[in-house]
Amino acid sequence: MKRSIGLFLVVLLFSVFVLGSIAIAKDVVLKYWMWDPQLTDEVNKLIAKFESQNPGVKVELTAMAPKDYWTKIRIAASTKKLPDVFNMSSGYLEEWAQKGFLKDLTDYVNKDIDPEKYFINLFDAGKAISGTDKYYAVPFALVTTVLYFNKDMFDEAGLSYPNSNWTWDDFLKAAKALTKDKDGDGKIDQWGYYFYGRYANVEPWIYRNSGYLINRKKMRFEPNDNAMEAIKFLISLVKEHKVAPMPKLMSGMKAKDVFPRGLTAMWIDGSWNIRNNRKVIGNKFRWGIAEVPMGPHKADVEFGWPDFISMSKYTKHTDIAWKFIKFASGEGLSLDMYMAGKIPSYKPLALSEAFLEKGKQPAEKGLLIKMAAKEMKNSFTKGWGEWRGYGGAEKMGLNGALDSILNGESFDKVWPSAVKYINKVLARYYK
Amino acid sequence: MKKQLKWYKSYHPWLFLIPTLIGLFVFRLWPISYSFYISFTTWDIMTPPKWIGFQNYKELLSDPTFYKILTNTFLFSLIYVVGVMVVGLFLAVLVNAKLKGRDFFRTTFFTPVVTSAVAVGLVWSWILAPKFGILNNFLSSVFHINPPIWLEDTRWALLTVAFIRVWKMAGYYMIIYLAGLQEIPGTLYEAANIDGATPWQRFKNITLPLLTPTTFFVFTIAIIDSFRNFAIIYTMTRGGPENATNTIVYSVFLNAFQFYRMGYAGALSYVLLLIVGVITLINFLLKKYWVQYQY
Amino acid sequence: MINKIFIYMLLSLIAFVMIFPFLWMIINSFNSEENIFRVPPSIIPDRLFKKDMFENYRAVLKDYNFARYGLNSFIIAGSAALGQVFTCSLAGFAFARMNFRFKGIIFALLLMTMMVPIQVTIIPEFYLMMKLGWIDTFAPLIIPSFLVGTFGTFMYKEFFENIPSDLEDAATIDGVSALSMFTRVFFPLAKPQTVTLFIIAFMNNWNDLLRPVIYISSKNLMPITLALTQFQGEYDAQWGYLLTGAVLSIIPLLVVYIALQKYVVEGITHTGVKG
Repeated sequence: MKRSIGLFLVVLLFSVFVLGSIAIAKDVVLKYWMWDPQLTDEVNKLIAKFESQNPGVKVELTAMAPKDYWTKIRIAASTKKLPDVFNMSSGYLEEWAQKGFLKDLTDYVNKDIDPEKYFINLFDAGKAISGTDKYYAVPFALVTTVLYFNKDMFDEAGLSYPNSNWTWDDFLKAAKALTKDKDGDGKIDQWGYYFYGRYANVEPWIYRNSGYLINRKKMRFEPNDNAMEAIKFLISLVKEHKVAPMPKLMSGMKAKDVFPRGLTAMWIDGSWNIRNNRKVIGNKFRWGIAEVPMGPHKADVEFGWPDFISMSKYTKHTDIAWKFIKFASGEGLSLDMYMAGKIPSYKPLALSEAFLEKGKQPAEKGLLIKMAAKEMKNSFTKGWGEWRGYGGAEKMGLNGALDSILNGESFDKVWPSAVKYINKVLARYYK
Repeated sequence: MKKQLKWYKSYHPWLFLIPTLIGLFVFRLWPISYSFYISFTTWDIMTPPKWIGFQNYKELLSDPTFYKILTNTFLFSLIYVVGVMVVGLFLAVLVNAKLKGRDFFRTTFFTPVVTSAVAVGLVWSWILAPKFGILNNFLSSVFHINPPIWLEDTRWALLTVAFIRVWKMAGYYMIIYLAGLQEIPGTLYEAANIDGATPWQRFKNITLPLLTPTTFFVFTIAIIDSFRNFAIIYTMTRGGPENATNTIVYSVFLNAFQFYRMGYAGALSYVLLLIVGVITLINFLLKKYWVQYQY
Repeated sequence: MINKIFIYMLLSLIAFVMIFPFLWMIINSFNSEENIFRVPPSIIPDRLFKKDMFENYRAVLKDYNFARYGLNSFIIAGSAALGQVFTCSLAGFAFARMNFRFKGIIFALLLMTMMVPIQVTIIPEFYLMMKLGWIDTFAPLIIPSFLVGTFGTFMYKEFFENIPSDLEDAATIDGVSALSMFTRVFFPLAKPQTVTLFIIAFMNNWNDLLRPVIYISSKNLMPITLALTQFQGEYDAQWGYLLTGAVLSIIPLLVVYIALQKYVVEGITHTGVKG
């Protein structure tokens, strides 16, 4: 009697276990990591839509502040416990692809991505950045760099607004007319232009003058003459023509607030600043965007880079993960997930009326779509943050060197040691 | 004559130390040993570490920037240690007096210690700003001098950041001194008063000598604490301008969490450990020359 | 009389210098987002005494669940601080009043381990926690602090060394056990030290951001410091919520401090032993 009861219990437990596993096995769980906690609500909505279209699939979202994201995900990579799907940046794509943590998505892309619906040039930009001939990441957004200008200040000075045909001379002339000492105290209150050594401030000038910083064959920092021409032009704006302040004068204020606070008539930085501009400027003045002026050696390219989503090489659910990636970079998205100034890579969103946000500043938002179709240049390499001077290292590297020149040091004193430093870093990654 | 073990057996100390020993070996020495090993490798966290022997140390010692960083580190520590000890003691003595409202003041002096580094960095950046900052506006309008741009001037940046950290942490050392001040019997002060001693004499002849154990403790802790300046540098100057505020710990942070060179970061850390260890050892060796226990 | 006025003026000046960033945070917790970084800064927040005056607080506490995160922080920091008091008092006492082999070496190791920057030890520590299965729990945030503390041990050691041996001898004559020597004779004398250590350990654990970032993923386990990072976006931050959350994060620390520091008063340490 006892034995049969025992046997019965064992069978019961076993069947519960088996049935339970089947039930659990039915629910596929995808882990998705992203770096913008501000978008958590919108992404959860996207996930809910995806889950309702794909019963039996659950997506677990983890959103982290950008600063923490990379450290945490690298630790995850080291323990092989990567999330199935995660955001990938242009700056790190090369490293992650070449170290073998990303799944090769080439077949999926060739099969599933409709070139009519996506900006394919962004997929190819990712391929180029990875330094391989495969697609390792799917773009979902693009950012580029624009010239922000204060329309009220231009009107006051009787100048016509910047346009895509502007030359450096046009720019300089306008900047001079816009630099004013308004209250007669001997100090300039309104600058024609504001910038510092930051990548988003400096590099558009270089690329639009057919310049480059990195010799891609040798992977060394060897700016060509056009690049140096652009850099010297920028330096002259501060030192010679005095239409832009020394960066240290604006210390204590966040760089992205200088233009919206009305301290400068023109500013060049990433298109993502549109949101902050709207927030800070409100209705205080009218402003617009234009393309960065091309130099004497014209090149109609843009300084921009996509943000991507990638798949882990170790994921067990490749097909469903791909489905999610496609959804999260295309039809699952809505415009409210694009902070103003980020451009969707999914054409139905990018080319929609809603994207233009007519009625809000800048009136020229459609310009971003024109720019998105052009060739994107950038200087990302492995170790980019270290040699360029980014994040915690922004006072060092090329950024720090340019800043010290702009703040008064002599070019000939600072530049050679900066080049040495940059190439020392690059030599570490590219033998 | 050797003192007999009267009230404890030879196993008692070990009993009392069980938690500490477990914690020390498992949670301190293991990670430290591992990271020491890593300092002889190159490791990007993602892929397995690759042994490279002394290369990290060689790179460190042949990098001219390292010597600048080292100098900054010492300078920062010097200003910090002197600053917090003097200000901390000053504040402690102030709030030790039997004044009405001293609880309120004790609390306000402690507030910067708990205020987040982000807020501290923001507010101080404002105050020190060249264009709209109140300090420079005040100095130029009242004293008619042209003040430097504190945080962007290679001559002043380090001093400024160290000063701000002293401001932030003085309250921390204040409460340690406060605890120590309670050990001084009030009867001694009463006796001194009867003898007609001035406040300064009381301080010099009673407070300071009897406070030496606490002062030793504060000094030792302050030295070790002075090197942990990552947060304040990150929020204020990020190591700039031109490495003027770059210290060893800030470099460790950059190499560990921005450049992902854990091996090099490890090498930096162990050079730091060597330096701080030697200083602390000297400190302990000299202890008997100036620290007086009451009994 | 003039002395008193002077002292109060000095105290008030210092108090203002110490407290103004905190005041700035409080003021801005009553500001709308646009007004926070207005140049020149406005001293009167634009939401003061208006209908939506407490909007930031309401949002942070309710919508963003900060009450829960505050509770998490409290449990973590409280446990860690209690553990510190327990462990460090025992260890400090042993170092101060007992002799044993390797005493010097162990103490030196304790000090030494405090000198290594956490950025290089956190990842090996993480691997250890992974082996123990403690990832995404409170354990890695509490247990290391619970078991060992250089600062606390050192502080108790210095204090206990400073106590007359007559006290110890008198107790020995009474036939007290080793444990009672600690719990009934020495430890009660260390009230100011205990309170100070509790405050400092509580504060350090409460403000720790690195460990929660590395170890915690589940939203409902986040302490306040980690929860605040949710207000940092890719290119911008929600300063109103950030500052309000930070204010909410500081208040419990001040409350703990105020409640405990009244015990930091002159102790009854010298009960007639000097004769």
